[in-house]
Amino acid sequence: MTDLEVTSLTKQFGETRVLKGVTLGIEDGEFVSLVGPSGCGKSTLLRIIAGLETADSGTVTIGNAEVTNTRAADRNLSMVFQSYALYPHLTVAENIAVPLRMREMTSVQRLPVIGGVMPGARRQKHSISQSVARAADMLEIGPLLGRKPGQLSGGQRQRVALGRALVRDPAAFLLDEPLSNLDAKLRVQTRTEIAELHRKLGATFVYVTHDQVEAMTMSDRIAVMMDGEILQCATPEIIYEDPDDIRVAEFIGSPKINILPIEQSGAELYLFGRPLKWRGIGESTRAMQMGLRPEALRLTKSAPSFKGRVAHIENLGAEIFAQIALNDEGLRVTLRASPADRPMVELGAEVGLGFDVDSALIFDADGKRMRKIEVMAGLTPEAA
Amino acid sequence: MAVLDMGVAAHPKPNSHEARTAWGLAAPALTLMFLILLVPVIVAGVLSFTNYSLGNSGFDWVGTQNYERLFTRSTYEKMFIATFTYVVTVVPISVGLGLGAALLVHSMGRIGDIYKTIYFLPVMATLLAMAIAWEFMLHPTIGMVNRTLAMACGSWFEVIPFFANGCHDGFPLWLGDRDYAIWVVCFVGVWQGFGFNMVLFLAGLTSVHRELYHAAEMDGARSGWDRFWLVTWPALGPTTVFVVTISCIRAFQVFDTIEAFWPQGAGPNKSAYVMMFAIFEKGVQQNLIGIGSAITVLFLIFVMFLTLIQRWLVERKVHYG
Repeated sequence: MTDLEVTSLTKQFGETRVLKGVTLGIEDGEFVSLVGPSGCGKSTLLRIIAGLETADSGTVTIGNAEVTNTRAADRNLSMVFQSYALYPHLTVAENIAVPLRMREMTSVQRLPVIGGVMPGARRQKHSISQSVARAADMLEIGPLLGRKPGQLSGGQRQRVALGRALVRDPAAFLLDEPLSNLDAKLRVQTRTEIAELHRKLGATFVYVTHDQVEAMTMSDRIAVMMDGEILQCATPEIIYEDPDDIRVAEFIGSPKINILPIEQSGAELYLFGRPLKWRGIGESTRAMQMGLRPEALRLTKSAPSFKGRVAHIENLGAEIFAQIALNDEGLRVTLRASPADRPMVELGAEVGLGFDVDSALIFDADGKRMRKIEVMAGLTPEAA
Repeated sequence: MAVLDMGVAAHPKPNSHEARTAWGLAAPALTLMFLILLVPVIVAGVLSFTNYSLGNSGFDWVGTQNYERLFTRSTYEKMFIATFTYVVTVVPISVGLGLGAALLVHSMGRIGDIYKTIYFLPVMATLLAMAIAWEFMLHPTIGMVNRTLAMACGSWFEVIPFFANGCHDGFPLWLGDRDYAIWVVCFVGVWQGFGFNMVLFLAGLTSVHRELYHAAEMDGARSGWDRFWLVTWPALGPTTVFVVTISCIRAFQVFDTIEAFWPQGAGPNKSAYVMMFAIFEKGVQQNLIGIGSAITVLFLIFVMFLTLIQRWLVERKVHYG
C-alpha cells in the first residue's frame, strides 16, 4: 500500500554537506538497504525519512501523502535503533506495549491508578496484551516478557526492539544498523530471521547498514551511498555484476574487486603495454580502468594475459585467495582459486593469469562505467 | 566461582599469622573510625540519660527524664513543629524547582550555562552573610521588600487582599512576625538550596540516553509530558532519591539562617526553633548537656530513618542502569 519516496533531499551540518540531493523511491513491501561507508549520510537519510531530522530541502512522501513537515510520531513508521533504545525501567512486555499505549490510549487512560477505571481501559489493555503476546510469539521471546532489558543479552534485546517495532502495523519499518552490536554468529542468524520476517509480514523495510554482506543477503534492492549521494540503486545481482560506478564495484564484493589501469592509444586498448583483443571507441589516447572480480581471474599457463608473483595466501578451506604482485610498484591483484589449484599458488611462485573478457568491467578515468567498450569486447576476437 | 571454591578448599583455615597481620593493618583505620565516628555517638547516647553539665566532676542518672521532657514540654512541641514545617516545605519545593530548572537549563544551549551559574550562586555564597543581606531586605520599614510592595499601593493590585491589608495596616514585619518567621526561613532555604539540587539533576540528565527520546517519538509520545514520563523521570530515579535524601538531611540541619536572624531566641515566640538551634541553645548556651544529647540522639534517629528509606528505595523501587 505504501510507496515511500524521497525527492532531492539535501542536508547540511555546519559546513559539511551530508546529503547532496538524494532521490529514492521504495515500493510497497520492498526491502531496501542503504549501504555505504560510515559518514556517507545513510543514517541521516533514514532519520529524515523517520522524521527525527529535518531536511534542508526536498520532500518525503509516504503513500501519496507528503510528510516532509509531519512530525515523527505522526508518520506511522516504526524504527529499530542501533542501540535498541529500550526503556530500561519497563519490562519486555511493557516495552513492546509502549507504541500501542501511546497511540491507542488517551493520556487519562495511561495514568497509573485512575487510568485503570476509565471507561474502555480494560478492553484496551486486553487488546494490547494480546498484540504484545502475538509479537512475542513471532519473535519467540514469550519467556522473556517479564524481564527488564538489563537482564537480557544483546541478541534478546535486539529481538525486543524488533518486537516493539512490529507490534503495530506501521507503513514501513526503518532499521538503523540493528545487527552491528551482535557477535558474528548471532548476526548471521538474525540476518536470516529479519529476512524471513520481512517475507512473512510483507511490509516495507528500509535497512541501513555498512555491512555489504547484510545488504547483499537480505535486500530486494540495494542503494549504495557515498559522499551524500546514491550512486546506484538496484537488485543485489545488478549491483554486484553490473555496477555503474567504480566506487560501487569497489565497495560491494569481498575481497575487493581488482582494478587495473588500461589505456587506449589510437583504436587499441593496452594492459601493461600489451594490446588487448578489444578496440576503443573512436581514436584517442586516454587512460581507463578495468575491474576484475577475484573469481574472474584464473590461473593459466598458456598465453597468460599477465604474470605475477604470489605475495600472500589466505586459505579459507573451500577457496583460496591469493594476492599476486604484478610489478615492483606494489600493484597487486587478488585471485580466487579452488583448493585443487593449491600446488600452483606457492608463496613466491610466478604464476600466469588470464580472464574472461565478458567478466571485465571497464570504467573511464573518473570511475564511470563504459559499457559500449564491453559490448564490443563481447564480440568474438576476430570481429574485434 | 569454581576457582574461588578451590581456593577456599585449599585453605580451610586462614593462617593465624596472616590473620594477625590483616588485623594489624586494619587496626589504625578501625581505631580512628571508632574514636572519631562511633565514640561521640555512644557518648551522646549515654549522656542523654544523665543531667551532666560541662565542668561538673560527676553526674546523676536521670533515666528517660530528658526524653519525657522532649515529648511533654511546649517548647519542644514548637521545636518539632518548626523543624517539620521547614523540612516538609523546603524539601519538595527545592527538589521540584531544582528539577524544573535543570530541565529548562538542559534544554538550552550556551545560554544554559549562564543560568546554571546564576542559580548556583546562592549555593556558593556564605549563608551567614546572605542571611544578613536578607535581614536588611526584609526590614519592616527600610527594607527593599516592603518598599517594593508599597509601590503597588494605589494600583489595581489592591484588589488582592494581601495588598489591601498591607497598604492599609502596613506590610508584614516578616522576621518579627511569628506567623511569617518560619516561612521566611523556608524561603531562604529554598532560595539557597535549589541551585544545588539543579546541579545534581543536571548531572543525572546527562546520563539519559538521547536515542531513548527518539524511540519515544517514534513510539508516538507526542507531548513533552509523555516523553518526560516515559524517558526522563524513570532515568532520573536514582538521582531523585539521592537529591531528596540529601535535601532532607540538609533541611533537618538548618541552623545558620536562624542563628543569623535571631541569635537570641529562634524567632518571635520561638516560631523558628528548629532542632539544630535547640541543640545549640541547650547544649552549648545553657550547658544542659543531657537534654542537648537527647535532642541529638533524636536527630540522629530521624536522619538514620531517612537513610534507611533511601536504601530501601534504591534496592527495591528505583531502576539503575
